[in-house]
Amino acid sequence: MLNPTEPVITRREPDPVKPVSEEDSLRPHIYDGIQEYDKRLPRWWLYTLYGTIVFAGLYWAYYQAYQFGVAPEHALKMEMAANADTAARKSGNLDDDLLWKMSVDAKVLAAGKVTFETTCASCHKPDLTGMIGPNLVDREWIHGGYPMDAMKTITEGVLAKGMPAWGPLLGKQKISEVAAYIFSHHKTGEQIVPVAGWTMPGAVPAP
Amino acid sequence: MSIATAAPELGVKTRIEYDDAPVRQFMIASIGWGIIGMLVGVLIATQMGVWQANFKTSWLTFGRLRPLHTNAVIFAFVGNMMFAGIYYSTQRLVKARTASRLLSQIHFWGWQAIIVAAVITLPLGLTRGKEYAELIWPIDIAVALIWVIFAVNFFWTLARRNEPSLYVAIWFYIATIITVAMLYIINHLSIPTSWTHSYPIFGGVQDALVQWWYGHNAVAFFLTTPILGIMYYFLPKAAERPVYSYRLSIVHFWSLVFIYIWAGPHHLLNTSLPGWLQSLGMVFSLMLWAPSWGGMLNGLLTLRGAWDKLRTDPVLKFFAAGITFYGMATLEGPLLSIKSVNAFSHYTDWGIAHVHGAALGWNGFMAAGMFYWLAPRLWGRRLHSVAAANMHFWLGTVGILIYTAAMYVSGITQGIMLGATKEAGTVLSYPNFLDAVTSTRILMHLRALGGLMYLAGFIILAWNIWRTARGAQAVNGSIEVYVPEKPATMGLGGGFFNAPVIYTTLLLVFLSGWAALPTLPSGLSIVGLVATAMAMSMHKEFTKTSWSAWYERLLENALPFTALTTVAVFIGGLVQIIPTVMISTANNVEGMRQIPYTPLELAGRDIYIREGCYNCHSQQIRTLVGDVLRYGDYSKLGESIYDHPFQWGSKRTGPDLAREGGKYPNSWHFFHMRDPRQISPGSTMPDYPWLFRDKTEIAALPNKLAVQRRIGVPYKMMTDAEIQEACATQAGLIADDLKNAGAEVPPEREIIALISYLQKLGKSEKVTPIESMQAAAK
Repeated sequence: MLNPTEPVITRREPDPVKPVSEEDSLRPHIYDGIQEYDKRLPRWWLYTLYGTIVFAGLYWAYYQAYQFGVAPEHALKMEMAANADTAARKSGNLDDDLLWKMSVDAKVLAAGKVTFETTCASCHKPDLTGMIGPNLVDREWIHGGYPMDAMKTITEGVLAKGMPAWGPLLGKQKISEVAAYIFSHHKTGEQIVPVAGWTMPGAVPAP
Repeated sequence: MSIATAAPELGVKTRIEYDDAPVRQFMIASIGWGIIGMLVGVLIATQMGVWQANFKTSWLTFGRLRPLHTNAVIFAFVGNMMFAGIYYSTQRLVKARTASRLLSQIHFWGWQAIIVAAVITLPLGLTRGKEYAELIWPIDIAVALIWVIFAVNFFWTLARRNEPSLYVAIWFYIATIITVAMLYIINHLSIPTSWTHSYPIFGGVQDALVQWWYGHNAVAFFLTTPILGIMYYFLPKAAERPVYSYRLSIVHFWSLVFIYIWAGPHHLLNTSLPGWLQSLGMVFSLMLWAPSWGGMLNGLLTLRGAWDKLRTDPVLKFFAAGITFYGMATLEGPLLSIKSVNAFSHYTDWGIAHVHGAALGWNGFMAAGMFYWLAPRLWGRRLHSVAAANMHFWLGTVGILIYTAAMYVSGITQGIMLGATKEAGTVLSYPNFLDAVTSTRILMHLRALGGLMYLAGFIILAWNIWRTARGAQAVNGSIEVYVPEKPATMGLGGGFFNAPVIYTTLLLVFLSGWAALPTLPSGLSIVGLVATAMAMSMHKEFTKTSWSAWYERLLENALPFTALTTVAVFIGGLVQIIPTVMISTANNVEGMRQIPYTPLELAGRDIYIREGCYNCHSQQIRTLVGDVLRYGDYSKLGESIYDHPFQWGSKRTGPDLAREGGKYPNSWHFFHMRDPRQISPGSTMPDYPWLFRDKTEIAALPNKLAVQRRIGVPYKMMTDAEIQEACATQAGLIADDLKNAGAEVPPEREIIALISYLQKLGKSEKVTPIESMQAAAK
């Protein structure tokens, strides 16, 4: 059972290290050849520990124990309300005339085309002829055929039919560019045919 | 054992041969599983940049392989490494042979069987749907049993020790064994619905809290404390220098194990977790900085006077770099736990950078250092090639730097792009989530390259150790010891009823009294706090007793030491989890209560969990402007109370899905799941062709609904026929709607159930305060 041969490689146990000062005092105990100094805790380390503990107390006092701080959900509501206020004061008013004018402005159309292709084309197809979502170049309109109607539909969505509300994602400016881009495929005064819904091309109607 | 001589004053002299066979077994297993775990890591890293690497095959998709990667590197690689280190060092530190060869062997083979079971079940999609706790319930029970066997063997060895006093490494091993058992069992409490499926008993916010209490402390007590213990043994051995400071060991050990357990909620900052828990998680994470750095200091400063050896000794190179990575990760951790930093970093690749800095740098390098030190001693041969070990070091280091640099850049890019707003904070600057995906694609390739280099280094290690061991005779260490007189024993009471423990307890009680109680008792607690502090200093002044003498005595008594450690780690868990579990969720919902899933939706949800969608999609809209603009109003407490398990997620490789329901038509999901790039150009999501082929498992639903009812989801009783009927009706409606949209698929296919679930996400009813009071009264 005993193994007479010592391991070949094992280094010899280190000579016990002699302490050079009071500060370097070694503990008398040796564990499998491992010795331990008993040095004082580094000051900066100790102050870091105390500092974080004090901070924890202050933070707790401010946000929890005495509730000076605003709870996150209230802070969020306040921030969003303030933002909406600022944005409302800054933005100008849109109407059908302005959107029609934008629909012939090459710069606006270029921007609108980019947004359309990244955001809308997956459902309405890049040529606007419709797939999951309805055709946007024919004269049939489900939710109103004036540019401001389109602004509303894009901003608020038609959640029941799967059209997301793009207002918070795109913002007024981008939506107006997209609306202008859509109406660049139409003419002022063109006939509007109100319809009830859209059937995807190639789809078999429900029995 | 044989008795050689008897020396009356010293006890009996005995020669002990250590049992090093399990050490060799665990070490080889760790290296083998480590390579497999890292290989899977490289594959899934590749999938992040190249969607084709999912191979349109269910068991090779990211959502199923990512749990395999995390489980393999945590439990198989680090687990086996930890066992090798503990079995080797404990015997030597307590001067006793491991108590039972039989238990070591059950431990070893049982653990490997568990890993094999994980490797089979996880790619098959058998999962509990909770991160790092994915393994299905029969395997969980096996893990708990094997862990207990390990604990018995360990404490039995301690009981037979010939070295009365416990060295700091042993303290860390004790904390590991106790705490992992506690965490693992509580987070895996589930009720089975079949041999391979179960629902956790906790749901929604409770499940979130328990999960991250576990998840964070798996990092703490599986990846940190045992490795610190291993550092305390192998580093001074390799450096041949005394440990820097015993006092620092004491202070950082106790503060680390006490504070760590509280910090879990920092994974849930800015979510619907109650605010007080978020604050606790944040401040305790900050307080964790110094205790963690205590370990780093004791490691690095032990190298004083031995730095010249780093040039020649690969073991010390790995240790020094590993401890440095530990120091960086434990500074970064508290930083990421600050709410405002977390608002930016969470759900991005910054988290990935953080964990890989720690896992590759600390765990991987400490493992490598230990293996290079052990191999010559376990096989009685010189290491085959020091040059190869050095090459491994440099490959690994550069690999880590490439990997983490890529992930930091990517994480910061994602944080900026996904949170950026314009028009006075009312509009997102990058409304298309895919913008953040496509801008970081090149970094995903870099990450895979870094990971590949790290893996290559480890393969060199495997080769080097194989060449060292090949044809060599296995060597077991041995030692001659004087069996000491039985040390003065301290009973359990002696551990608790003594000045240091009583004063500490009083301080903590008054501190928590101040923090948690209303005005008057809170004020009285401050008085109590001051009084205790004064009493403590006067007591020390007058009695002139030394607390260090008491601690020295404690070290000679494993039972009270273990009991004190247990109490220290239990407190944080109790304070956080008990109130959250006790508070009835029915009346604490922030005005919104989730509408339970229909049977078909529940089946769809189980498909969602099976495919591991939570690995890339969160379901939690945080109280942040960017989140609310992108995904809708912030998530309320009540909106996930019936989610067993919760699916809040930890990373957004794709967008949040908390309010996905009704956002797009059914056909959108149909085409998207069939080919994500048709709908979302640039997407990295895999195709899911099998969902269009396989039939939804309706037969399991009666059992599943019964279990859901038992864990508190208000399902009314339904017969099997009613369940089938309900599924068929709902599936038929969706199939008809899809057909109208040109997407034809039979109603019994899995895609229909999944769409029904996705369309339900975010559906809840408003609850008035009066209604919720009535619900509570029932």
